[in-house]
Amino acid sequence: MFTGLEFEAVGLPPEAEALRGEVREFTSKELPADYWPNADFNEGHSPDFSRKLGERGWIGMTWPKRFGGGERTFFERYVVTEELLAAGAPVSAHWIADRQSGPLLLNYGTEAQCRRYLPRIARGECYFSIGMSEPNSGSDLASVRTRAERVRDGWIVNGTKIWTTDAQRNHYIIALVRTSPPSDDRHAGLSQLLIDLYADGVTVRPIRNLAGGEDFNEVVFEDCLVPDDGVVGEPGNGWIQVTSELGYERSGPERFLSAFRVLVEFVRAVGNDPRRDEAALIGRLASHLMTLRRMSISVAGMLQQGGNPAVESALVKSLGNDFEKLVGELVRLQAPPGHPGLERCLRQTLLHAPSFTLRGGTREILRGVIARGLGLR
Amino acid sequence: MDRLIEDTAERIFADHVDKAALDAAESGEFPNALWQVVRDSGLHLVGSPQSGSELADLYGVLRVAGRHAVPLPLAEVLIANSLLDEAGFTTIAVDGVAPWARIADRVLTVDGELSRRFDAEPGSNLAGESRDRVVLFDTERVDLPTDLRERMALCRVALMSGCLERILAMAIDYATEREQFGRPISRFQAVQHNLAVLAGEAAAARCAYDAAVASVDSPGFVHHVAAAKARVGEAAGIAAEIAHQVHGAMGFTHEHSLHHFTRRLWAWRDEYARESLWQEMLGLRIATGGADSVWDFVVDAG
Ligand SMILES: Cc1cc2nc3c(=O)[nH]c(=O)nc-3n(C[C@H](O)[C@H](O)[C@H](O)COP(=O)(O)OP(=O)(O)OC[C@H]3O[C@@H](n4cnc5c(N)ncnc54)[C@H](O)[C@@H]3O)c2cc1C
Repeated sequence: MFTGLEFEAVGLPPEAEALRGEVREFTSKELPADYWPNADFNEGHSPDFSRKLGERGWIGMTWPKRFGGGERTFFERYVVTEELLAAGAPVSAHWIADRQSGPLLLNYGTEAQCRRYLPRIARGECYFSIGMSEPNSGSDLASVRTRAERVRDGWIVNGTKIWTTDAQRNHYIIALVRTSPPSDDRHAGLSQLLIDLYADGVTVRPIRNLAGGEDFNEVVFEDCLVPDDGVVGEPGNGWIQVTSELGYERSGPERFLSAFRVLVEFVRAVGNDPRRDEAALIGRLASHLMTLRRMSISVAGMLQQGGNPAVESALVKSLGNDFEKLVGELVRLQAPPGHPGLERCLRQTLLHAPSFTLRGGTREILRGVIARGLGLR
Repeated sequence: MDRLIEDTAERIFADHVDKAALDAAESGEFPNALWQVVRDSGLHLVGSPQSGSELADLYGVLRVAGRHAVPLPLAEVLIANSLLDEAGFTTIAVDGVAPWARIADRVLTVDGELSRRFDAEPGSNLAGESRDRVVLFDTERVDLPTDLRERMALCRVALMSGCLERILAMAIDYATEREQFGRPISRFQAVQHNLAVLAGEAAAARCAYDAAVASVDSPGFVHHVAAAKARVGEAAGIAAEIAHQVHGAMGFTHEHSLHHFTRRLWAWRDEYARESLWQEMLGLRIATGGADSVWDFVVDAG
């Protein structure tokens, strides 16, 4: 009988748990006493903090030592990332490079690329952006139009990427571009290029979001020359490569912790003698959170075994994003007045909630991925 | 969980539980033949000290039983046998109600009373499973673990988790066979998305169950069971609703077997306390710890 998607029962091994105390000690030392925690992995870009994490060996943890990595397990990385998020530490500078650009280079990059970028990423000095979306290509990623033309010493890139998180602050972008004209096979002819965001022919313009922040950008390429060694993997293999990033991108604790502060501040607001309905709300949200965490750790186990858990990741992200939205909507209805901390978190969550089910693949696209995993399409 | 035990359970239940058996049990006939097969296989002793198997195996058997809606009071029999000497058929009562007390040799209450002399008035839950009202006469006190209610609640979690897998499989099968507008309804995106949500709830239930089973004998057991019963109860409601929507009117008939599973989900999510009560308990513990320990609670319990 078909029994659904397999999430193997895995708990965190002791060597991973052992890191928890170290990370807590580190954050309590490095973050000021009156530090107001960030709600989200996207909030708080601090090269200084990233460098200190690098010194501790907490970036690139799973990578080979010869590239500056720690040869640790995905479970150990899991504990470090979840503790940083729970503390609301400013992690956005290195987050994407650590989570997916580094692993992408490890899987598909050349030895020279790995030597050149990975040690700097692991030191917390070198930051990457994701160059997938374009003005006319969102969910339909294979339709990207940014094109790269072969010239003598490399590729000339023209086109526009959009919604590129932190492109105004990061060093590089890995862009999905068309290297041969569209054909019957929509997924053919795409390639990934590693491009210096400070190169000639690249213009980055921040875009203001509805909450007033400027985190994402438009990135325009005008006759930008990318040398040959900027190609990641094989030219034409871009689709397979870009989809392989998604297992890393979608399954982590950042996909269900964006509203965690709201829960914490709600508990503070109701105190240690809550009404029954208040206790029930806390318990309900905790039951979701504990379950999501278990699922996400199970996916870390799949990554550890070298699998490509694209479907399971989509499922964790989809359930996790729905949960993040639920937190704001439910706590709002029961929030007692006169608690500035709670009010601040709630505002932040309610204003950012629309993005939870868009960024990293929309809810509808994720459900489609799951349906494919169920054999329905 | 021992694979061999799980496979044995799967084989026996797949061979012996069908719609006719479910209908018969619901009409009040105890499934003697099935019970005999279970006894002959030794499945009724899984998790008991003399069996060499563990509590995790007991819950694992119940997950398989949930997949087949096995019409026996397996949770009660297995837990009773794990606690007492095996002396015939012992059922477990909570709030004065026990499955199949009408044919049981003994009734044990979750509060630690054991009786061989009792009255049993037949009754049933939403799924038509026997839930008999009992009045005990001679009772003896027995020492029971303090977390017996949690163990029983985890039994319901195990049953629901298996049951959720089954309705997911049924809904997928139905959607790929049933044609409308000239194609299988599984080709419609709205149907695919509903099934994706159903699969998510089934997977979440499985993980909540795993977390609770992994915490057996640890200090976090009660919290994990609370989280699992609350989360899986929520999953049961969402998943049953979608399974019925996908099955159309056919799934609303008595003839179709979907209701044997969905009605059990509706019944089991209420038994051994509905979601709201477990949520309150969990929430109260978290609030008592205070805001700055919420994360500790989530990860220590995790
Ligand atoms: C805060 C934020 C940060 C981001 N950061 C980055 C980044 O760093 N790099 C990057 O490349 N991108 C980034 N994105 C972009 C993100 O990946 C896209 O928003 C997403 O892929 C959806 O594309 P779109 O916004 O163009 O919406 P569209 O694809 O136009 O979709 C609009 C609506 O239509 C639905 N829809 C589309 N196609 C289908 C279909 N086949 N079936 C059913 N429904 C469908 C969608 O689900 C959605 O509800 C970011 C987005 C946000 C909000």
